[in-house]
Amino acid sequence: MSQNLYSSRQKRSYRCFSDISCGSVPRDSKTALARFITLSAVFLLAVASAHAQDGATGADWPNYGGTPMAWRYTALKQINAANVKNLAPAWIFQTGDYAENLQATPIVIDGIMYLITARDQVFALDAATGRVIWRYEYPATKAERPGSFAGLTQNRGVAVGEGKVFFGTNDTYLVALDQKSGRELWKVSVEDPKQCGCNIYAAPLLVNDKVIVGENGSDVAHRGHLTAFHAETGRLAWRWNAIPGPGEKGHDTWKGDSWNFGGGAAWTTGSFDPQLNLVYWGTGNPAPDFYDAGRLPGTTQDRDVNLYTDCIVALDADTGKLRWYYQELPGDIMDFDSAYEIVLVDRELNGQLRKILIHVNKSGITFVLDRVTGEFLDAFSMPEVQTWMTRVAGDGRVIGRKHPEVGKTMNLCPGPAGAKSWNQIAYSPKTGLMYAPINELCADVTANNEGPQEGAFAMGAAVEMKLPPGRTSYSHLDAWDPVTGKRIWSYSYQYVLMASVLATGGDLVFTGDPEGNFFALDSRTGEKLWSYQTGAGNRGSAISYSVNGRQYIVTPTGWQQSQVGGAAAGLFPDQQWRQGSTVVVFALPEGSR
Amino acid sequence: MSRPFLLLFVFTLGCPGPAWSQDTQDFLKHGEQVFNRSCATGYCHGARGTAGGAPRLAAREFDQAFIRDTVSRGVPGTAMAAFEKILSPQDLAAVVAYVASLNGIAHPEPVPPGGPAPTQSASPALSPEAARGRGLFSDSQRGFGRCSTCHELNGIGISVATPIASVPTDVQALRAMATPEVSTVSFGHETMPALVVSKGNRSVIFFDLTIPPPVLRTVSPGKAEFAQGSGWKHSSVIGSYREDELTAILDFLRAIVAR
Repeated sequence: MSQNLYSSRQKRSYRCFSDISCGSVPRDSKTALARFITLSAVFLLAVASAHAQDGATGADWPNYGGTPMAWRYTALKQINAANVKNLAPAWIFQTGDYAENLQATPIVIDGIMYLITARDQVFALDAATGRVIWRYEYPATKAERPGSFAGLTQNRGVAVGEGKVFFGTNDTYLVALDQKSGRELWKVSVEDPKQCGCNIYAAPLLVNDKVIVGENGSDVAHRGHLTAFHAETGRLAWRWNAIPGPGEKGHDTWKGDSWNFGGGAAWTTGSFDPQLNLVYWGTGNPAPDFYDAGRLPGTTQDRDVNLYTDCIVALDADTGKLRWYYQELPGDIMDFDSAYEIVLVDRELNGQLRKILIHVNKSGITFVLDRVTGEFLDAFSMPEVQTWMTRVAGDGRVIGRKHPEVGKTMNLCPGPAGAKSWNQIAYSPKTGLMYAPINELCADVTANNEGPQEGAFAMGAAVEMKLPPGRTSYSHLDAWDPVTGKRIWSYSYQYVLMASVLATGGDLVFTGDPEGNFFALDSRTGEKLWSYQTGAGNRGSAISYSVNGRQYIVTPTGWQQSQVGGAAAGLFPDQQWRQGSTVVVFALPEGSR
Repeated sequence: MSRPFLLLFVFTLGCPGPAWSQDTQDFLKHGEQVFNRSCATGYCHGARGTAGGAPRLAAREFDQAFIRDTVSRGVPGTAMAAFEKILSPQDLAAVVAYVASLNGIAHPEPVPPGGPAPTQSASPALSPEAARGRGLFSDSQRGFGRCSTCHELNGIGISVATPIASVPTDVQALRAMATPEVSTVSFGHETMPALVVSKGNRSVIFFDLTIPPPVLRTVSPGKAEFAQGSGWKHSSVIGSYREDELTAILDFLRAIVAR
C-alpha cells in the first residue's frame, strides 16, 4: 500500500551519500557515526550476500532500455575509444514510412532486429544484413479525435518475448504478433481514442508473463492508467489508475470532480526489478497543465497534491498494487512530467550495496531514491538556465516555484518542452556516470482558465517557445555522477539534443543531433572521437548488439516534424532538419577490429 | 521549407467566449481568444501563430480563402481537424480572420462568401434521463465496465458487438437478454466464450469474451473448435451499473436507436 514518505524524507535530509565525494556539504556527525556503526554491523553480511544486478546488454538488445533496468548500456567493447575512428556504415534500412520520423528503439534478439515505425509498421530484419524477414502493417487508423493525441502518430518501440512481438498503436490498442512469422495473434483496446484523445507511443514492458503499457494523456483531459495484459492471451491482468477514485487513498488531493480528467498519464516505458518483483513507472503532469484553480484541493500544502501525478510509483508486478510512491512536483503547474525513464542501479553507498533508482523529470531535476522503500536520497538540477524555481532543497522539495497567472504572460525556463524530452539517458557501470541530453529552452506562457473537456488538449495556456538570451548554444550532453550530484563533463551543442544516449563498455557515449550527425564521445572526458552524417535528424534511440562476433551500433534517423521536435525546429528557422525513417547500422570494417 | 503544411489545431468545445461582433477589432480579438484556447497550445501553433509543435502560421503569405479552406476542412491524414464540424460558425470565422491578420491581411472578411460555413446538424434533443444515460454509457471512470467497451454508438465506443438494433424493454430484460451469437471456442488448452468475426481459409478471427475488454484473437482454422451457445451472460459485464443507471441507459438507447 501507499505510504507517506515525507517523514522519511525529513529524517534523511543529507544531500549526498558518498564520504569520498561529499566535498563541502555539511554532515551531521552523529548521523555519520550512527551510519558508520550500522554499516560496520552489516558489512560482512553485505559482502557475503550482496550481488549487484547487471543492467548491461551483451549480444542482444532485448528490452527498450537495453534491459528492464534501463541503463542503455552495452558491455560490448569491440568498438572502443581507440578504434571508433574507423567506424563505418555496415547496412542501412529505409522503412518507407515517412509519415513522421523514427523514434523507435530497435530490439535485437538472436541476430534478428525488430523495428516499428511511426504508423505501426513492424519489421523483422536480419541484424547482420538488413534483409527483411517479415513485415507487418497495422491497418491505417483515422485521426478520430482531432485536437488530441489521437490525431498524432508516433511509436517508440516494441517489446519482444514469450514468442511474440508486442506494441501499442495510434488508436490505443495493444497488439501481439507471432515472433517468427509476424502474424497477428491478438489485439485488445486499451482505451477508446475517440473518447480519451489518447494513443500509445510507448514501448510496452514485458514483465514475467504480462505486458504492461500506458497511454498518452497528461496534456489532454484524461485519467492516466497502467494496464497489464496476459502475454499469452491478451486478457486483462490488472489496471492501476494514476488518479485515485472515490474512497481510495489520495482521492482527497483533488478538488471536486477534477480527478476525472486529471492526467497523470504513464506515457513512457517503465522499469522492472525481478528480485523485488516491482515495476517502476513515472507519471505525467496533472491536467490542465498551467491552470490549477480547478484541481487544487482546498488546503495549502507542499506535498501530496493531485496524486499520483508527477510521481515515481512502484507497483507489484503480479497485481498492480501500489507499493510506494514519491511525488517529485506536488501540484505541478509547469507541464513537468515525471513520466520519463527510471534507471535502476545497485550501487555501493558508504560501503553498503543499495538498490537505488535514478530519474530525471522534464524540468531537468534528477531524483535519486531507494527503490526498495521510495526513500528520498538526493536530487540535483541539470539545466544551466532555470527561472521556474529557485533551488532544490536537501530533502528534495523544489523551492520558489513560480505560478502562472491567468491572462498574464510569464517567461519560464525551462518551458514545457522541458530541459529534457522523452529521449533517454544512459548509465555506465564502468564510469559510474549517467549521461543526460539537456536542452536550454524557455517559453512565454499565458495561462487561461480553460476548463477540461474529456479527451481534448487541456494545456490551460497559450505557449510561445523562446530561446534564453545571451547564449550561443542551447543544449549539452552531460556526464553526471548520480551519487554526488556533480557534473563531470559537458559537451556543448548549438541547437537541441533530442535523441537517446547509448553508453558502451568500450568507453564510448553515442547520441545524435537534429542536423543528422551521429557521434561518439569519450565516456570519461566528453571528447568527441567520431561523427557521421546520417542524412536526417536523430530523434530516436541508439542501441548496440553483436552477431557472429561483430559488434554493431545502430541509430534511427528522421527528425520529428510535430510536437516537441517541430516546436524546437521552429526556434531555428534557418535550419532544415530533415525527416525520414531509416536505421543506420555501423560496425568496424572487416580487418580493422 | 520541406515540412508539409501540418496544421495542428486543438479544439475546445463549449468554452465560453465573448459575443461575436462585426466590429473588426472586437472580431479579431475574439478570433485571438479562440486561437489561444484552441490552436496555440504547446504541441500546436504557438501564441500568435509563431509555431509550436505544428508549423508557424504568422507571416506565411496565406490568403484568407486558403486559411478558411484549411481550417474548415482540415488536412486529411494529419491531426489537423475539419474545424467546420467543431467550432461554431462565428468562432470559425473569427479564428480564420485572426490567422489572416497574422498574414498581413488588415481587413479580413468577417463572413465567408456565400454565408457562414456549414454546421453540423444539431444533436438530437435528449430528455434529461436519456442524456444521463448517454454519459453513463461511456463513463470512462468505470474502466472496462462501461457499455462502450463493447458497443459503439454515436461515434463513441469500440465496435465489438454488432450495432444495437433493438432495445430491451426494461432492466430485467436487459439482464436476461439472450446472446445466441456468442459461441464456445476451444483452442489449445483453452475454452472461452467467443464472438466470431470471420472464418476464413487462412485464419479464424473472434473476440474472446472471457473478461472485459474483449480480445480479438486470430488463429489458424484447424486449431480452433467451435460449439454453438455459451455460458456467457450479458448481465456479467454490466455489473458496474445500478438499476437506475441502467434505466437511464435504456432511455438513451431508445432515443438513439429509434432514430
